[in-house]
Amino acid sequence: MVNAGVQNKLFRVVIYMLLVLLSILFVIPLYWLVTNSLQIVGSASTFWPTSLRLVNYKYAVTFIDYWGYAKNSIIITAISVAIPTITSALVGYGFARLRAPGKNVLFLLMLSTMMLPGIVTQIPTYVIFFKLGFINTFWPWLFWALGGSAFSIFLYRQFFAAFPKDLEEAARIDGCSTFRIFWNIFLPISLPVIATVSILAFNGSWGNDYITPFMFLQNDKYPLATALFSIGYVFPGQKEITMTQVQSAGLILFVLPIIIVFFLGQRYLVEGVVSSAIKG
Amino acid sequence: MNQPAQTGKSASYGSKRFRSRSFKEALEFYVFISPWFIVFILLGLIPLLYGLYLSFTNYAGFNMDRLVYVGFDNYRKVFTDNDAMYSLGRTIFFTVIMVPASIVLGFLLAVLLNQNIKGIGIYRTLFFIPSIIPVVAVGTMWRSLFVEDGVINNLLLQLGLQPVDWLGYDYAIYPLFIMLLWGVGGGILIYLAGLKGVSKDLYEAAAIDGATTVQRFAKITIPLVTPVLFFQFIMSIIGSLQIFVQPILLAANSNSLLSTPIRPIYVYSVHAFQQIFAYGRFGYGLALLWVLFIMILALTVVVFSTSKLWVFYEVDQGGK
Repeated sequence: MVNAGVQNKLFRVVIYMLLVLLSILFVIPLYWLVTNSLQIVGSASTFWPTSLRLVNYKYAVTFIDYWGYAKNSIIITAISVAIPTITSALVGYGFARLRAPGKNVLFLLMLSTMMLPGIVTQIPTYVIFFKLGFINTFWPWLFWALGGSAFSIFLYRQFFAAFPKDLEEAARIDGCSTFRIFWNIFLPISLPVIATVSILAFNGSWGNDYITPFMFLQNDKYPLATALFSIGYVFPGQKEITMTQVQSAGLILFVLPIIIVFFLGQRYLVEGVVSSAIKG
Repeated sequence: MNQPAQTGKSASYGSKRFRSRSFKEALEFYVFISPWFIVFILLGLIPLLYGLYLSFTNYAGFNMDRLVYVGFDNYRKVFTDNDAMYSLGRTIFFTVIMVPASIVLGFLLAVLLNQNIKGIGIYRTLFFIPSIIPVVAVGTMWRSLFVEDGVINNLLLQLGLQPVDWLGYDYAIYPLFIMLLWGVGGGILIYLAGLKGVSKDLYEAAAIDGATTVQRFAKITIPLVTPVLFFQFIMSIIGSLQIFVQPILLAANSNSLLSTPIRPIYVYSVHAFQQIFAYGRFGYGLALLWVLFIMILALTVVVFSTSKLWVFYEVDQGGK
C-alpha cells in the first residue's frame, strides 16, 4: 500500500501545477493585449514587449471621439444600473413577501422572459419607437430600465424570501405600511444583492449593450461598446488597415472600469450568487 | 396612490371579501410588481406579437402603409433558404460541442477550486475574469492574436513551426472555440455554490464505508450538484443557439456589425441579422428569428421534461 501521506502530497503538487497552468492560460491573452498596446504602430506582435509606447493610449483617445463615446456610455449605463436596481428590488419584494392570486403564474412568466432572444422583440420595438420618434434618443433605455431585469428580480426574490415572517410582523402591528417595511427594513439588509445586481447591470450595460445602440442610435450617440468596433482605429485614408496597437490601448481603457467594478464588488458578487443559488 | 395593474382581477376578488387584509395584500402585490408588468406588456409582449404579425407580411422597412399579408410564405422560405439551413447547421454544430465542453470544463475548474488549498481566491479571480470582459473586447482581442502576423503565429515560427491561417476557411472554427472556451470560468461561481452545498457528513460516511475518491465523486458529488448542472445546461443551450457577434468580430474584415463572417462560422443569427439590416427583409428576418425562438422554447421544454430522470432534488420542492 502506498503511504497515504506521500500520496496526499503528490496530489497537492499536481493540483497546484494544474492551477498555475490554467491561470497562465486564462491570463496570457490579456497579457498579450497589454503588450500589444505598448508596441510601435504597425510592428508585428511579439511575446515579450519590445517597447513601452504609452503614446498609443493618447492616440486611442484622440484618433476617435473617445470621450464623446464614453460620455454616451456613461449616460446609458447610469440609466441602466440605477433604475432597474431599485425597480427590480420592488418587484422582487412583491414576489417574495406578498400573497396574491396569480402570483405563481406571473413569476413563471417573468422567468420565461429570460429565454426570449432579445432581438425578437427589439426589431418590432424599433418600428414602434420609430413611429413615436424615440429613435436616436436615450428614452428607450429609460423605458427598459423602469421594468427592471428578470434576472435581478429573481435574485432579489430569492434573497428576500429567505427571511422569517417575523421580520415584518412586528412592524405591521406597529402600523407600518408595506412600502415602509420594504424601504426601511428589507432594503438596508440587502446590500449583497444590491451590489450583485448593480455589478451585473453595469457589466451588461457598459460592456455588452452594443446591438441596441447600433439599431436605435446614430453614430455620434454610440456608446464605446458599439463605437469600438463599428468605427474602429484605421489608418487615415486606408480603411482596411486597423492600427491594432492603438485599438488594443482603446480596448484596455474600455475594459478597465469593468475590472475595477469587479474587484470592488467581488466579495458581494460571490456572496450574492452563492446565496441565491443555494436556496434554489 | 397608484392604481393596481390588474384592476379587473382584483375587483372580483375583492367583492367577496370587502377590503379584507388579504385583499389589501393582493392589491399591494400588484402595485409592487407593476413596474415590471407594465413594461413587460408594453415593451415585451406587444413588440413580440407585433413582430409575429410582421413575420407574416412582406414588410421591408419602408412599405408600412401597404403591407401585404403573405401567410406562411416567409416561414416556408426559411426551410428552403440554403443559407439559412446551412447557418442553422453550423449553429447546431457549435452548440453540440460547446454546451458539453463548457459545462465539463467549467465544472472541473470549480472542482479544482473546491480543494482545500491556499490562495483559492486568487485562482478563482483569474479563472473568472475572462468571462466578465465584454464580448466586443474579447472578439477584437482574439482576432488580433490570431491574425497572420499575430502573436500566436509568431510563437509558432519561433518554435520552428509553420504559421497557420487561423482566420481562413480551414481553421476559422478553432479560434472561435478557443475564444468561447476562454470565458468558461463564468460558471464557476454557481458550480462552487453547488459544491459547497454538499454536506461533508456524506463524504465522511462514504469514506468510512470504504468508497474511493472516484466513487465519492461519481456517487455523491455529481448527483447532488445536478440541479446546478441542469441550470447551466439550460442557460448554455439558450445562449449557444443565439451565438451572434463572436464570429463577426473574429472573422470580419471590416469594422461593422453588418460584415459577414467566413462560411465555416456563418451562424444563424448572423444570417437573420443580415436579412434585416443588410437587405431590409424585415418580414423574412423576423420569421427566421421566430423559428429560432420556437426551437429554443421547444428544446427548453424537452430538457425540462427530462429533468425528473436525472436531476436530483435533495429536498421536496414544494415545502418551505
